[in-house]
Amino acid sequence: MSASATSIKGRAFGDRVLLALVILLSIIMIAPVLWVIGLSLKENAELMANPNSVFHAPYTLKNYINTIGTSSVFRWVLNSIIVSGGLTLGTLILSSLAGYGFARLNFPGRNILFVIVLFGLAVPEQAVLVARHQIFSMLKFHNTYHGLILPGLSASFGVFLMTQYFRAIPKELDEAAMLDNASRFRIFWKVLLPLTVPAQATLGIFTFLGAWNDYFWPLISATKKDMFTLTVGMASTQTNFAQSEGIGFLMAQAVFAGAPILIIYLFFQKYIVTAVSGAAVR
Amino acid sequence: MADQLTIRETAAPAAGVRVPSVNIYAPQWRNFVFVAPFLFFFTTLLIFPLFWGMWLSVHKADTFSTGRFVGLDNYVRLFHDKVFLQSVWNTFYFVLLTVPTLALIGLFLALCLNRRTRTAAVLRTLFFSSSVLSVTIVTLIWRIVYIPNVGLLSTIYGWFGATAPAFISDPSLAMIGIAIATIWWCIGLPMMLFLSALQQIPQDIYEAAALDNANRWQTLRSITLPSIKRTFILVIIIQIVLQFQLFGQAWLMTRGGPNNLTKPIVLYIYETAFRRWDLGMGAAASEILFVLILIAAMAQYLVTRNKGDQA
Amino acid sequence: MRMKTTLLAAVSASVMMLASPGFAATELTVQRFFGACDADFGTNTDVAKAVGECGIITSMINKFNADNPDVHVSVTTVEWPGYDQLTAQFASGDAPDIVTIHESVLSDYQSKGLLLPLDDVLNSVGVTPDSFTDAARNGVTRDDGKIYGLPIDTWSLLFHINMDLFKKAELVNADGTPKLPTSVDELLAEAKQFKEKTGKPYFVQPTANETANLAWNLYSYLFQQNSDFLADPTHVKLNTPEAKTVVNMFRTLYADGNITPNLDYGTGINAFLAGDGGVHLNGTWVIGDYTAASEKSGTALNAGGYAVYPFPQLFAGDKAQYADGHTWAVSQKDRTPEQLAAIGKFLKFFADNDFEWSRTGHLPAYKAVLASDAFKALPHRDTLAPLAALGRPLPSAVQRRFAIQDIVGEEMNAAETGQKDTDAALTDAETRINELLANL
Repeated sequence: MSASATSIKGRAFGDRVLLALVILLSIIMIAPVLWVIGLSLKENAELMANPNSVFHAPYTLKNYINTIGTSSVFRWVLNSIIVSGGLTLGTLILSSLAGYGFARLNFPGRNILFVIVLFGLAVPEQAVLVARHQIFSMLKFHNTYHGLILPGLSASFGVFLMTQYFRAIPKELDEAAMLDNASRFRIFWKVLLPLTVPAQATLGIFTFLGAWNDYFWPLISATKKDMFTLTVGMASTQTNFAQSEGIGFLMAQAVFAGAPILIIYLFFQKYIVTAVSGAAVR
Repeated sequence: MADQLTIRETAAPAAGVRVPSVNIYAPQWRNFVFVAPFLFFFTTLLIFPLFWGMWLSVHKADTFSTGRFVGLDNYVRLFHDKVFLQSVWNTFYFVLLTVPTLALIGLFLALCLNRRTRTAAVLRTLFFSSSVLSVTIVTLIWRIVYIPNVGLLSTIYGWFGATAPAFISDPSLAMIGIAIATIWWCIGLPMMLFLSALQQIPQDIYEAAALDNANRWQTLRSITLPSIKRTFILVIIIQIVLQFQLFGQAWLMTRGGPNNLTKPIVLYIYETAFRRWDLGMGAAASEILFVLILIAAMAQYLVTRNKGDQA
Repeated sequence: MRMKTTLLAAVSASVMMLASPGFAATELTVQRFFGACDADFGTNTDVAKAVGECGIITSMINKFNADNPDVHVSVTTVEWPGYDQLTAQFASGDAPDIVTIHESVLSDYQSKGLLLPLDDVLNSVGVTPDSFTDAARNGVTRDDGKIYGLPIDTWSLLFHINMDLFKKAELVNADGTPKLPTSVDELLAEAKQFKEKTGKPYFVQPTANETANLAWNLYSYLFQQNSDFLADPTHVKLNTPEAKTVVNMFRTLYADGNITPNLDYGTGINAFLAGDGGVHLNGTWVIGDYTAASEKSGTALNAGGYAVYPFPQLFAGDKAQYADGHTWAVSQKDRTPEQLAAIGKFLKFFADNDFEWSRTGHLPAYKAVLASDAFKALPHRDTLAPLAALGRPLPSAVQRRFAIQDIVGEEMNAAETGQKDTDAALTDAETRINELLANL
């Protein structure tokens, strides 16, 4: 009786400690972002005089107007959307097919192939960059959308993830259909694929984010202004050494480049939550 | 419990499983069609370039001309280069700083936020939101936190009349500074993976435990943690692979300084291949990184697996 | 022959103009750093109104496009210094026609046969190398005697001085000019005095994330000691008494708190503007901004004025300091006579309008501009004029100078901030650079 009472008391205390920890972590998460937004709304001169001026008016939108004033900025956003969207679609298709293949079907050399695909996870981008660049030069793929999309399609992560998901689906679901000699593609399409929607959402979002934020490949492949993605374009507008626009301008750029993806994320996040709730898989 | 990370398990239906009259799991060439499209891109854009890189690593090559065969010279030069050896150590140090922290904080957050309240949902969104930002923005944010004068840290320390630690230029703090920014950036993925694992644990086990008057710690140790063991390994392996490839944060925050103490292998590769145009040696360093990642991921996997088997 | 092609070009151009109303101008692709400032100067063609590197170069190209309807220049801006991209472009055979390249980097691309020698093109538009200043001419001429870039400026590190603090430190001559050191001992003594009187460090110098600044300092003081550390362009000698003297000087200054700690490039500027130190070691490119700040009441530079000088002569050797310059280089590819003519026009435009570019703070690359009253009338140019004679690059045959600069800067940084022994740092720098140069 008394033991149970202390346990409840201990539980309340423990809860409070946990809560405090979570709140502390939340502050660490959010404070830098608020600081950046604050700086982006200030005139540079005022910041130089006193950084604490972030906490009071006057605020200005000048830094944002300068950012948007860079004529190509919307073109770069469009490029980023096309590239990220194309890569996401491609990855979902390839990974779902391959995931089903590796998880449910058997074919000669399957196991060794899967191990090789897993090894692909460990290949650093830098190890293949030069050769890719040379191949794409020969094919005249630079400064094109497919030139920006294709390298991402070789990533193993999606296949790995989808294979895991397909394996987690109880075999009874499709075994009957297999025994009935339904076509493999039909089983894949009608029976199993609908069950992987949460995994698709997760993979889709990660792929989109990865592509949106990619910096190095677009930097050396998209070298024409009209083909810049947002990350490369934004970097290109930063000045040589003069930096007269100062910190406020840089911060406005950061907010401007980060905002679209954050909005997309907030818009889709209930799907992610559904994905992690994992109801469909169970 | 079927360990789905292995391929051994799925190679053939385990004995004891009801074997259907027609062996639908017999190897068939036509099944290959499903994996063929991916394998096409995988082979042409990853495997082939990887071998190309290996070929480069035994040649004296620069960006505009591929020269003569030099055998293992590039590798010998690498192991005589203090900066390269430093960069290998830096990379391991960074992985040690970040991977366990990410796994533990991720698990902690997942345990705390695995409930159906609105607050928990908002916090999940918050902790994942930093992951959507690009490395350029993340480093801009953290430089603004760390720098003197207008930096967030120095402003906060300033309220108390203190001087903030110099996370970018102090030799003993620089890598920690990069690690903090990285953990801030990457915490979303481990948390989400743990959350998804937690939510797949059947509720009735917990109900049974509650009937047995198990306290929270006991429940955690005997039900929750064993159930997510597989996810834990997954998180660790994914993070090892990712964090071994540290580049952007170090490049944009410290340029590898001070005194090369934050220069990771990938940055070394980048400088060698793209700044010095020494493609051969850059390729050699890439191969070493590739091997290191493989070893680390496999060692981690084997170690956790063995422990699991003994338990 | 040239006459004939020109005539032919003119005829075919006019035919085309008559034939189609959508007459196609000769398209030139130009790639540059210096940032983007379309919000302020995207459509400005009045160059005199523009300020700053970005504003002036944007407006100049706008004006060139407006003045030359038969040529259309499309600009791609890249992140400074843009060489990773440029190398990738050359590798994929997709380089821009005209591109900004530092004089110190020209030899890397030239040695691979990627750049067009400009002698003929410049000749055809009447720009002759003898109009370049000596520093500029040296910088763009390679070992084969040909010119590989149109110079637009010479730049260098300078002593940017907060006169208010110098007055407080009693480091002012009778004529009101700042008292600058003439030897290492004097520098150390004056820095000490400065600190005692003002409580602030003598130098504002970026040491976080910074290599270039430190390397340029070392090069300059090595020149002043006649240390021919790159006499052999493929073998550097840095573990020398001369180099030790320089590194130890900075090491002592840093250890005694006479150099601001922990600043990166951007925060260094902010620190100097906020009056946190006496001398900012920074380049010609900030003169405009600092002059503007000094004219605005309430700023730290307004309180007692702003002055700017070349490096003081601390040693008994040559009067020299490290300098580099920006150039327009042209990629090697097959071109029509019209395209070559358009390139010539573009280069001539920049040669003719170098005064406008010199308003950025950089030193002009043309003798006539340097001698002009308009240039002399710009603020602080009187104290900077000696730079034209002082400026000296590394020997022209030295390749991979950006990579070398990074190594020198890294090691010097480690030594200056006390993380590494001076001897060890210089030995390592030497070993690393020679390893690099032995494997070109």
